[in-house]
Amino acid sequence: MDIDGEDVSRRLHVKFVTKLDSPFKVPVNSVAIPSNVTRLGLSSIVNSIIESENPEWKTEPFDFLIDGELIRMSLEEFLLAKGISAERTLEIEYIRAVTPRKEEEPSLHDDWVSAVNGSSPRFILTGCYDGLGRVWSSAGSCSHILEGHSGAISSVALVNSNDAETVTVATASKDRTLRLFKFDPAESVDSTTKVRAYKILRGHKASVQSVSAQKSGNMVCSSSWDCTINLWNTNESTSEGESVSVKKRKGNNQAEESQSEGEAVTSLVGHTQCVSSVVWPEHDVIYSSSWDHSVRRWDVETGKDSLNLFCGKALNTVDVGGESSALIAAGGSDPILRVWDPRKPGTSAPVFQFSSHSSWISACKWHKSSWFHLLSASYDGKIMLWDLRTAWPLSVIDTHNDKVLSADWWKGESVVSGGADSNLRISSGIAIS
Amino acid sequence: MTKRSKGANEDKLIETKSKNVSGKSQKQKKPVEAESLKEEDLLQASGTDSDYDGDSLPGSLNSDDFDSDFSDSEDDGTHEGTEDGDVEFSDDDDVLEHDGSIDNEDDDGSEHVGSDNNEEHGSDEDSERGEAVEESDSSEDEVPSRNTVGNVPLKWYEDEKHIGYDLTGKKITKKEKQDKLDSFLATIDDSKTWRKIYDEYNDEDVELTKEESKIVQRILKGEAPHADFDPYAPYVEWFKHDDAIHPLSSAPEPKRRFIPSKWEAKKVVKIVRAIRKGWIKFDKPEEEPNVYLLWGDDSTSDQKSKHLTYIPPPKLKLPGHDESYNPSLEYIPTEEEKASYELMFEEDRPKFIPTRFTSLRSIPAYENALKESFERCLDLYLCPRVRKKRINIDPESLKPKLPSRKDLRPYPNSCYLEYKGHTGAVTSISTDSSGEWIASGSTDGSVRMWEVETGRCLKVWQFDEAIMCVAWNPLSRLPVLAVAMGRDLFFLNTELGTDEEQEITKERLHSGNIPEPDASVAAIVTWLPDELYGGIKIRHFKSISSIDWHRKGDYLSTVMASGETRGVVLHQLSKQKTQRLPFKIRGLPVCTLFHPSLSYFFVATRKDVRVYNLLKPGEATKKLETGLREISSMAIHPGGDNLIVGSKEGKMCWFDMDLSSKPYKTLKNHPKDITNVAVHRSYPLFASCSEDSTAYVFHGMVYNDLNQNPLIVPLEILRGHSSKGGVLDCKFHPRQPWLFTAGADSIIKLYCH
Repeated sequence: MDIDGEDVSRRLHVKFVTKLDSPFKVPVNSVAIPSNVTRLGLSSIVNSIIESENPEWKTEPFDFLIDGELIRMSLEEFLLAKGISAERTLEIEYIRAVTPRKEEEPSLHDDWVSAVNGSSPRFILTGCYDGLGRVWSSAGSCSHILEGHSGAISSVALVNSNDAETVTVATASKDRTLRLFKFDPAESVDSTTKVRAYKILRGHKASVQSVSAQKSGNMVCSSSWDCTINLWNTNESTSEGESVSVKKRKGNNQAEESQSEGEAVTSLVGHTQCVSSVVWPEHDVIYSSSWDHSVRRWDVETGKDSLNLFCGKALNTVDVGGESSALIAAGGSDPILRVWDPRKPGTSAPVFQFSSHSSWISACKWHKSSWFHLLSASYDGKIMLWDLRTAWPLSVIDTHNDKVLSADWWKGESVVSGGADSNLRISSGIAIS
Repeated sequence: MTKRSKGANEDKLIETKSKNVSGKSQKQKKPVEAESLKEEDLLQASGTDSDYDGDSLPGSLNSDDFDSDFSDSEDDGTHEGTEDGDVEFSDDDDVLEHDGSIDNEDDDGSEHVGSDNNEEHGSDEDSERGEAVEESDSSEDEVPSRNTVGNVPLKWYEDEKHIGYDLTGKKITKKEKQDKLDSFLATIDDSKTWRKIYDEYNDEDVELTKEESKIVQRILKGEAPHADFDPYAPYVEWFKHDDAIHPLSSAPEPKRRFIPSKWEAKKVVKIVRAIRKGWIKFDKPEEEPNVYLLWGDDSTSDQKSKHLTYIPPPKLKLPGHDESYNPSLEYIPTEEEKASYELMFEEDRPKFIPTRFTSLRSIPAYENALKESFERCLDLYLCPRVRKKRINIDPESLKPKLPSRKDLRPYPNSCYLEYKGHTGAVTSISTDSSGEWIASGSTDGSVRMWEVETGRCLKVWQFDEAIMCVAWNPLSRLPVLAVAMGRDLFFLNTELGTDEEQEITKERLHSGNIPEPDASVAAIVTWLPDELYGGIKIRHFKSISSIDWHRKGDYLSTVMASGETRGVVLHQLSKQKTQRLPFKIRGLPVCTLFHPSLSYFFVATRKDVRVYNLLKPGEATKKLETGLREISSMAIHPGGDNLIVGSKEGKMCWFDMDLSSKPYKTLKNHPKDITNVAVHRSYPLFASCSEDSTAYVFHGMVYNDLNQNPLIVPLEILRGHSSKGGVLDCKFHPRQPWLFTAGADSIIKLYCH
């Protein structure tokens, strides 16, 4: 293969490598390609190479990495920008493009969908402004309705799914309470079952904004407009004597259920304004974001905040993930999604800033298994998938026609989202290796 | 004489030497002197007179001139050889004479008559000079003296044991004095004793060599010291003495050239006397030449004109191409253009229409010539011309120095959230104390409660009348919304807060036991139960225009714009009572305001704001003169010392009440009525909204230091509401630097930083 120096566009020697499995593999030969190709061109080249070997190949979009950085411009510009020599044979790694390939039917709710949780691969949890929580086993099929709240549900969390039969979930509501529900996701797929809370957690003085469960499932924490973060026990028993069991009679229903009430184990005080979001990623570490423009890390044992990141904007959401689950992503009252690395000493400046949204960011979630991927949902009605290796969004999901209030990953390959158009939307087929 | 040809410098050096005493110590100084002489010579070359020696101007030539002179004038070529020495001598002599005598103005020639007598002496000198030349040439065989004390009187060392110091600084001890007799005997014995000389300076005996003694003898005889010196050597004629075309005057400088003139001195004395007596006057004013630029521009000569107010008339416009008799085609208007001129007003119509003529001859007389020149004359003498005084000031420098907007962040600048749901213009908004909720009232008769974070409308209260005002109770534990519409004031329970708070709220709004109203207010208001939403409503006798809660959440003031003196009442929610103000209000009240921390009460009438003390009934404690035509709204800084007043002419006044009762600053920004003003509770921000559908955000920093005036910086113009109806209300978020604006387009917008 010789280089034609007089060619209109310069040619580059590249070698395509991948970590993908056999149908996606191409022979490890160096090929000469024009230097002005973009991602699309590279993708079509790889597709044609695969097709030449495998005639039944369906075209598949790919994304390309050079030295761990995604290509988002023409190859020539990329090399220039990064100062990579075009003389030697370039090694381009390709991965399947992170973009939803399938859009499931929307699942209509009665009111705005304010909370979505996809922690469990078996079902999707949603919270709604009509005060009901719903469990969706798949798109369009609601298996359980979690009832009891008198105000809009603001957040839902999966507490415990260890034992196969029953699953514990927690819901936070604007009626200042949290409720814990238990149900069996396997039963009654055909008809919708109504579930009542087995435990009501009272103690917040204002709307509860967010709830998150400990990994073990023994405790949940919740954040509220009263500027506190409360920690609660989730166990049903009242052996500690701290909670009083009350019998509640359901007005028109014959069923009589036992509902226990729980009080907060402890309160983490320190935020000066509404605590908008909490996550509990490790055993004794809680991260919280607040409208007082700070992200804090709390040590559960001591109840003190061990980290205080100042952001400058009121924050709506926070999540922890990425490389060794240490990066903090938060979004709030501006269109910028910020990612901090608290391990970096001496700086509180964000290490990444993603600013493709055009309105407030309502949710951000790290992918559970990937170090690089996270999603963000915004009031501009868009959900964006991000890769830390590029500043452009990998893909934009623009299925909602109103504000997106919440979004989450589901099963590692789907994005579930709920918004002000009262729909739960599932975008699936996202290939994240 | 060959030596002389070396150069005049050396010549002179020798001459000076010969005039002075010759001695060894003198000879040592020679090189230095030669140096200085050279410099002198250079000076002489540039024409300065020197009293040093005879050959004054110009340098080297002179002495030879003298030579030739003598040979010509006096001796007529005889004794050429001897004359040389003669000349040299007489030359010196001449100089001496010049220096010494003042009166003698005679020619040099007569002097030289007697010079022959001194011939012997002259030759003596000559011979000495020859020796000097010898010695100067062979300075290496000269023995340096061993004493180094220099030319000091030797008697200083008379009493010392040493005579001086040698080159290394060691003392030179005196020789032992010999007995006179012994020394005499020694001289008798010694045959060479006649040649010995005692050198006192070096304290040693010097024995002259034979050559030296011969030289001495020759000198004594008056001959040249060296035997081989031939005084009669043939004369080498270096310069020819024939008549040249341009003869150089060989006449010596007459004496009068060197002495000041007597007559001149007399003249000077006369002048000096005249000056002293004042006959001669200096500093006569120079007469200005009476000329001017005939063709110069009049405008530039204005400073010369005697009249201060003279202004040159404007110049006539010079004719251009279009006035030419044969202008280019593009100057000539087409027929349509000419037709369009006819449609124009006469004033706009062009005075002259370019036309083409084939030749100069065919140009007709200009019909307007007389008229125009007449008008020009009228212009010149009837039109007053006034000089415009223009000051050159950089407009930028007039701007006040304000800090950059960047440094004043955060402030609301971009709209991210909209609260949609109303169907009529949103007239009023109010945020609850935590900032979680916002309530709004609209002309469609609905009051809505929104969730700030998501823009979700949580509650709707529907009424029949257009809502005038909504106000959230400032207490967080009493989530009551006061809503004014028409003549009614409603207290609505928002059903927020904890259960206990709800109970208190319900109790407050319980309408079961409304007490009998006082007689004084019975005609103004009546407290009634509200059937619609189970609260309380207060019916007023006139329609309500504005309401304001006291900071403690118990009292509420309402303003009835047409109520005149009864226009402002205070309601107490806990006792469900109404009272009139304990003071009289002058003018029509527009809006009222409670002081944020003290018991003051602000009442804005149409033209000014009065401050009353609620605890001291009576006259107003202060009157703020706004200078505005019609006040529309008022807001107070949380510190309580600064008041902002918005007016219907688009002006906003900032009052610093510690400073003055006049506005500290008046901001004229809006082209239309200001509908509302707002001040942030914690951030140094204030805002105004107007019917021009914009809202302005300002930085309003109030300093604790009383000496420092508040800093007011305009920050941002918030646009976004549709142009019809404008923005009717604006409120700041209680904790975030965000601004809510309520538009007549039925949308509430939230502007974030």
